[in-house]
Amino acid sequence: MRTVLVILPASEVRRNEREAIGAAQAVARELGGSVCVAFIGPTSEIRGLHEEDSRAPEAEIERLLVVAHPHLEPYAPELYVSASEQLLSAVRPDVILFPGGTIALEIAPRLAHRIGAAIVTDVVGLRSEGVPSGSCEEKALVLIKPVYGGKAHAVLVAPRPPVIVCVRPRAFDPFDGRLLRSHVRSVEVVLDPSAARAHLVERIREASTMEVPLEEARVIVSGGRGMGGPEGFRWLQELARRLGGTVGASRAACDAGWVPASWQIGQTGKKVAPDLYIAVGISGASQHVVGISKAKCIVAINTDPKAPIFKIADLGIVGEYQKVVPALIAEAERLYEEHPA
Amino acid sequence: MRIVVCLTQILDPEIPPSEFRLDPERKAAAEGVGRLVLNIFDENALEVALQLRERLTERVEIIALTVGPPSAADVLRKALSVRADGAILIVAPEGVSLNGFVVARLLAAAVRKLQPVDLVLCGREAGDWHGGQVGAFLAEELGWAGVSFVARVEVEGGGFLMRRQSDEGWEIIRATRPAVATVTNDETNVPRLPKVRDTLLAARAEIPMWMASELVGDQEKLWTVGAPLEVREMFIPSDSRVCEMIEGETIEEKAARLIQELRRRRIL
Repeated sequence: MRTVLVILPASEVRRNEREAIGAAQAVARELGGSVCVAFIGPTSEIRGLHEEDSRAPEAEIERLLVVAHPHLEPYAPELYVSASEQLLSAVRPDVILFPGGTIALEIAPRLAHRIGAAIVTDVVGLRSEGVPSGSCEEKALVLIKPVYGGKAHAVLVAPRPPVIVCVRPRAFDPFDGRLLRSHVRSVEVVLDPSAARAHLVERIREASTMEVPLEEARVIVSGGRGMGGPEGFRWLQELARRLGGTVGASRAACDAGWVPASWQIGQTGKKVAPDLYIAVGISGASQHVVGISKAKCIVAINTDPKAPIFKIADLGIVGEYQKVVPALIAEAERLYEEHPA
Repeated sequence: MRIVVCLTQILDPEIPPSEFRLDPERKAAAEGVGRLVLNIFDENALEVALQLRERLTERVEIIALTVGPPSAADVLRKALSVRADGAILIVAPEGVSLNGFVVARLLAAAVRKLQPVDLVLCGREAGDWHGGQVGAFLAEELGWAGVSFVARVEVEGGGFLMRRQSDEGWEIIRATRPAVATVTNDETNVPRLPKVRDTLLAARAEIPMWMASELVGDQEKLWTVGAPLEVREMFIPSDSRVCEMIEGETIEEKAARLIQELRRRRIL
């Protein structure tokens, strides 16, 4: 039996956390093993856990742990790495999973270096394969990640356990079961605050102007270099508002300073999975496309009929966005008058 | 203050997917599908260093480093062309696998040799493997502060204030000096273009080479550091989407047909 540990540097169960647990269940199914979920943070009060429920008494996750220590507030990378390292000696996992997100991507490689483990970031798929081990056969974990900006996928095998896996957001089905508060066990760690060489002093929220975060949005209207400036994004916001969605951007639009960097979608921005993604004035560079591959329907609006975005879109309109977007706003308005949501 | 910027050479990420091919033997991009360029996030890191040098009253010296074959000197020339003060090529023996663990160990040895160093900057990830690990490994190797996804760096007292990208926006991180930071892009660190004269000077510059064998004593141990992965295969993912172009006499007609089509497909 293998042990699959999910390390969640969080005090809340959100979509990224559920996806990491979902990926861990897939690992456990493939290799044969059990899943252990551990939260690391300043408090043992985890938001999003379920209270005891007689209708679903059995635990779907074998072990639920929390590593809570007051020195984990404010955030200091070294102390999270140290807490994770101590957690490993308590759990002794074969596979360690981290969710997507900047905190996990900051601490996971440092943990890998400290324990001499292989690490694969941005994992989008996994399976197992049989490898001969003496007279019998063992199962090895095979991991898949995009490389070359998403133009290719690499299939990787770690030489020996443990292996650290950072899951790409919106690549795995989220765990849809219940994490019961009564099952939580705490793990004690010893942290030396003088080991912290960096710590958080301020958080600046720069969410989209819409209420729905990009990763959760059902509809995203996104603008790129073809927008030509920040002004046109007001139309994109208007269209997004009428469709009940939010606004995103390509790296080119963010680098130009037209919109905040937190709107960036793509390989090094947000990974999104909306029902509808409308790409306006976006050429379709693979580093952008890789962030939207999970969208159910991609609509491309571009003046250049040869733009690569049309190769990966489901529906396309060739035209100037200054004309197409206002026409779509009018149509969307008519639609919601006829079929109020 | 001395700033070391770590650079890496990658296949040009801008080559279109239609021209991209794999070499199944090497399990990598086929040679010749595109030129080799400086990793874009390393350009952002270089820009952060250059702006610090311009802003600070104290003397700032910027040294660019890369690990690779002699041809990797091209990325160092790029750094010199935007007026890095110095550049050093760390030459690894041919035929060895330069995984992140090995690269970080070599860079750490070079940084120690360059001491005193106050700040090491790397790109947040390379545009070929998207590992995002070398900077973090380097912080561990050196035992220094390590902050990832940094877009801006300020000197504050004896340490640094770094503006770090978070999932919800930004975070300000206070880090001790010396520190390692991995740099992400924002509108303040868009790489500058070199002047023609500086490009010509950089092309002629003598680039010092440090041999890996001189930097790290125990070579046998170096090539077995960490836990490298085995690349089983590489494939080009197929996208099964087929684009239906919405036609119409007028833009209004196209817009109406698009909304109808989205309704028909039960997207709206």
